[in-house]
Amino acid sequence: MFKELNPLLHSELRLAIMSILISVEEADFLFIKEKTGATGGNISVQLEKLSAAGYLKIEKGFLGKRTRTACRITSEGTDAFAEYVEAIKSYLEKKA
Amino acid sequence: MEDKILNEKESLELISKMIQNSQQKIKAGNGVTFLIFGYTTLLVSVVVYYLLKTTHNQLYNLVWLGIPVIGFTLLYLFRKDKPKYNKTYIDRVISNVWLVVGSGVFFVSFAAGFVRIPVLAVLILLLGIATTITGLVIKFKPVVIGGVLGMLSFILPFILLGYEQVLAYGICVFIMMVIPGHILNYKRGKKNV
Repeated sequence: MFKELNPLLHSELRLAIMSILISVEEADFLFIKEKTGATGGNISVQLEKLSAAGYLKIEKGFLGKRTRTACRITSEGTDAFAEYVEAIKSYLEKKA
Repeated sequence: MEDKILNEKESLELISKMIQNSQQKIKAGNGVTFLIFGYTTLLVSVVVYYLLKTTHNQLYNLVWLGIPVIGFTLLYLFRKDKPKYNKTYIDRVISNVWLVVGSGVFFVSFAAGFVRIPVLAVLILLLGIATTITGLVIKFKPVVIGGVLGMLSFILPFILLGYEQVLAYGICVFIMMVIPGHILNYKRGKKNV
């Protein structure tokens, strides 16, 4: 039996965001935008979805005069990510 | 990048690409904190040395407070318009090392107002330890060497008696922070071009 792939992570942009956050302590909205090349609106929507699932924490604040949105992955997010990678591995092993 | 569904292979490729991309190198400009505090310490120690030497009034030791005041103000001004996009684990390690050592520095300096302790020796040792750890974490030899020299120079205040140790302290901090700070900015700056 295949492990089911988490639909929340099995989408290009959301997976990219989670991969970035798993490798850094904290990432700024602009950093995510730069690394993914996606539009700000699209990123906002996906961040909201991931945050609603408890996978990441969003902190809004000010840095000088600019607004700053910082995101960091939660332990639930890390677990979900690890499970997702395990599921992908089981798919690939099955295929091989 | 769109909100599209990937196959398993594409997923793995995307994960590894994103992880690689976000592991950025230590950026140029990281030597700035060293430079700000190194130059400020040198300047303040020269001023303290001059005042103590000419007046012999120990109250002028309060001028040391100029280091955190000037240092943090300059640091704030420098960073104000440069938002940091991401924070890595290395950033967290370094900032925590300096937070702990910085607290130690404040505690020792404060205590020195009440009890007789070889304050400059303790401070240079503490700062040397933090600088060495920073150098090891960012894997940059000149900072490690500067830090070790700093640690070793804790002996100077015991050898030099009188106000000269104040001047020696400023020079030691200069060698420990300013020289590696300039090398760091120069080398890492070139790599990022």
